[in-house]
Amino acid sequence: MNETDDLKLREFLKKGLRPANAELRRDLWPSMLGRMEKDELRVPWFDWVLLGAMAACLVFVPQMIPMLLYHL
Amino acid sequence: MELLERFAQGDRDAFEELFRQYQGEVFGWVMRIVRDRGIAEDLTVEAFWRMHRAHARFDPTRSFGAWARRIATNLALDQLRKMRREVPLVVDTADVARANPAIQRETREQIAAAFQGLAPKLRVVATLSLIEDVPHREIAEALGISEVAVRVRLSRAMKILREQLKEQVPGNERN
Repeated sequence: MNETDDLKLREFLKKGLRPANAELRRDLWPSMLGRMEKDELRVPWFDWVLLGAMAACLVFVPQMIPMLLYHL
Repeated sequence: MELLERFAQGDRDAFEELFRQYQGEVFGWVMRIVRDRGIAEDLTVEAFWRMHRAHARFDPTRSFGAWARRIATNLALDQLRKMRREVPLVVDTADVARANPAIQRETREQIAAAFQGLAPKLRVVATLSLIEDVPHREIAEALGISEVAVRVRLSRAMKILREQLKEQVPGNERN
């Protein structure tokens, strides 16, 4: 393929698809604050893992319950 | 203390100032890639959220704009992977309305479908270079690849597009 073919293709594509209207029409800061608050409220995954591990220990090793109560 | 240094230290006011300063630029860049206003807004917020979380890794001697664009580009690429074969490229009604009336709707749809069929890493380069006229250097910086790699990807994308649209491109009928 030569440069002329490339130019023809470029022109054809540009006629069919115009550049996107990339102007921002609203302030996104309120959405940003919402995103930040959402994440602050979320419990981190390792807390869930810790909770799960503790529950498993209590189920499978019930002897741990007095020890746990003592430390609480 | 400079704004970028305050941001790197986790100052929320500095983050807000940078957000207000760069939100339009980041949105515009993402919009050029995904071509959907709603998705571009969501990705802009998500990109800034990642920057906020990664503030400690930001080097205040470097350009915030380039860093922001790189993060936003990675998110937009992930989005293109999700959107592939799900959402047509031209979904913005304003985009359709602004399209060249001399080009048949069917042809526009074929062009959109041809772009949609490209692998995301080719599509992003093809869209930015062929439709948005973004210089190769800027595309390379945003994708974290060399300009040569941009030219290679563009060449591959054009080859696929030419093949897909060989019946429609004027002068290609002989092929």
